[in-house]
Amino acid sequence: MTAQGRRIWPVVGDPMRRNPSRAARARPVEPGFERFMWYFMRISGLLLVFLALGHMLIMHVLVALTGQEISFAFVTSRWGSPFWRIYDLLLLLLAMIHGVNGARIIVGDYVERGGLRAFLVGIMLAAAFVWLLLGILVVATFDPNTAKFVGPFS
Amino acid sequence: MFGYRISWAQLAWFGHRLSGIGVLVYLFMHIVENATLAFGPDVYDFTQTLFRNLPIRLGEILLMAALVYHSLNGLRVIVMDFWPATTAWYRPLTYGVIIATIAAMIPLGLIMIAPYAPWGRIL
Repeated sequence: MTAQGRRIWPVVGDPMRRNPSRAARARPVEPGFERFMWYFMRISGLLLVFLALGHMLIMHVLVALTGQEISFAFVTSRWGSPFWRIYDLLLLLLAMIHGVNGARIIVGDYVERGGLRAFLVGIMLAAAFVWLLLGILVVATFDPNTAKFVGPFS
Repeated sequence: MFGYRISWAQLAWFGHRLSGIGVLVYLFMHIVENATLAFGPDVYDFTQTLFRNLPIRLGEILLMAALVYHSLNGLRVIVMDFWPATTAWYRPLTYGVIIATIAAMIPLGLIMIAPYAPWGRIL
């Protein structure tokens, strides 16, 4: 290892070394969208550790341990509480933005052509927007009384 | 896959991306699945029965492993990004993330597989 490579941060030279975490990208130097997203990924990531892992632990571990089953009645009871609705909305919002930004960064790493990259990122953003809207609608408008309406597909 | 000798650090990085994409794909499916709530109890409860089989359960265990790994490795990234001095221990931290993921998945996997296992119960 060179003397330069041993410097902790900021290390110049080898891109793998320039990045302190050696796992994600270095913090963009200029303020702007990319730097904002660099911080967003870390802050939302920290929140998602609790929100997403908590959600999985409840739905797949605690439900099994207490002999329950996920059903319409279970959701009705769960979303009867504003706490769980807000929890799920926050989880949905952060997970979708965090996930799609991650996918955008991966596409940026592998797709060199600007036009193709913009096309792929555009499709992902559009899909994320539609799915996010659908998810928010489902969580926010769920009403066990009106939900008895059977829609056009059944 | 990489065309050169890979290190644990590179594997950790690759695993972070792979698990992230996996969880994102699941999120899209999960939103569609939950949208069936709008069609009432019969439709939703029927949808849920589609998820009660061994292949789906194995997928859910894989999802849990992806989420645990992505969370722990993400915490390592945050720690190393905001406290650069900790990069001196990036190797033991990376090993720690991998070992902790495996250690956490032993009880979690056992609880989740229990209904489909020959012993059929959790404890």
